[in-house]
Amino acid sequence: MRAAERRNATGVGEDIAQFLAELINLGFEYRLQRLYRRFETGGISLGYFANELGLGVRDLYAALEHGGLPTSNVGADPSVGRCSSAHQDTRLQIRD
Amino acid sequence: MLTVVFDAGHLITVCKFESQGKLVVDHPLSGCCIVITPGVEEEVAVLGAGYPDGVVAGERIAQGVIQVMPAPARRWARHLADYALGDGEKDSIELCGQAEEVEALVTDDYLAFVTATRLGLKAWMLPDLVLELTERGSLTIEVAEAILEVIRPRYRVGVIEHSLVRLQEVKKDAESCGADRGEEFASGGASQRYRGG
Repeated sequence: MRAAERRNATGVGEDIAQFLAELINLGFEYRLQRLYRRFETGGISLGYFANELGLGVRDLYAALEHGGLPTSNVGADPSVGRCSSAHQDTRLQIRD
Repeated sequence: MLTVVFDAGHLITVCKFESQGKLVVDHPLSGCCIVITPGVEEEVAVLGAGYPDGVVAGERIAQGVIQVMPAPARRWARHLADYALGDGEKDSIELCGQAEEVEALVTDDYLAFVTATRLGLKAWMLPDLVLELTERGSLTIEVAEAILEVIRPRYRVGVIEHSLVRLQEVKKDAESCGADRGEEFASGGASQRYRGG
């Protein structure tokens, strides 16, 4: 009985841990996308962007590349060209 | 030799992408001297050592092909203070303004580009460096075109298209120079220096 309770308790704990991890990921992704908006309009640089996220520039580069997003913010608005669908549909991710 | 200061973003690009069986970093390096700050080295070759391009950058630094040089002083600290630039970008701007014989800051970042320009520095994007090296005869038209195509995904719309039009101008100019001199233009390169718009 006690073992079953422990298993149940462990299961609940795992669920909570998973829920919290997803919550953290969502928060991180939200922040990343908000900062990307500032980056793509030229308000912040790539280095500042990385620093605000607590990442190295190389990890941020990887995240943007993974999301199909340019790492240069000079040029036409993504909504005009080929970047629009990637920008709206792709979830940005950081390499594990 | 052309000496340029690189910031982190496109140092990663040139160490990552290959064109014609050769990393992009190994194409322009034959025609220019790349200088980076210790901060950019840290960002790309140390913190980025888990990525193949970070290893490439580290190797080129160890070989002395990419030089690491700190900015002698923070001359523009107050000018740069309120810009949302990273330390690597600020240091690169300072180094470009203080190191002797540096032709330009090469950056693909809008804010760094504008800030450097406002400080009176010459700023180029990486595709501009490719064009410059082609004009100087260090890169052939074909290699330049291949590099521009391979790095295209890292840029927003308009940048590579602009550079390809300029590249055609370089090619035409080289051809006309060759014709004027009665020389045969070899399609393998723009050997004459081009200074057109």
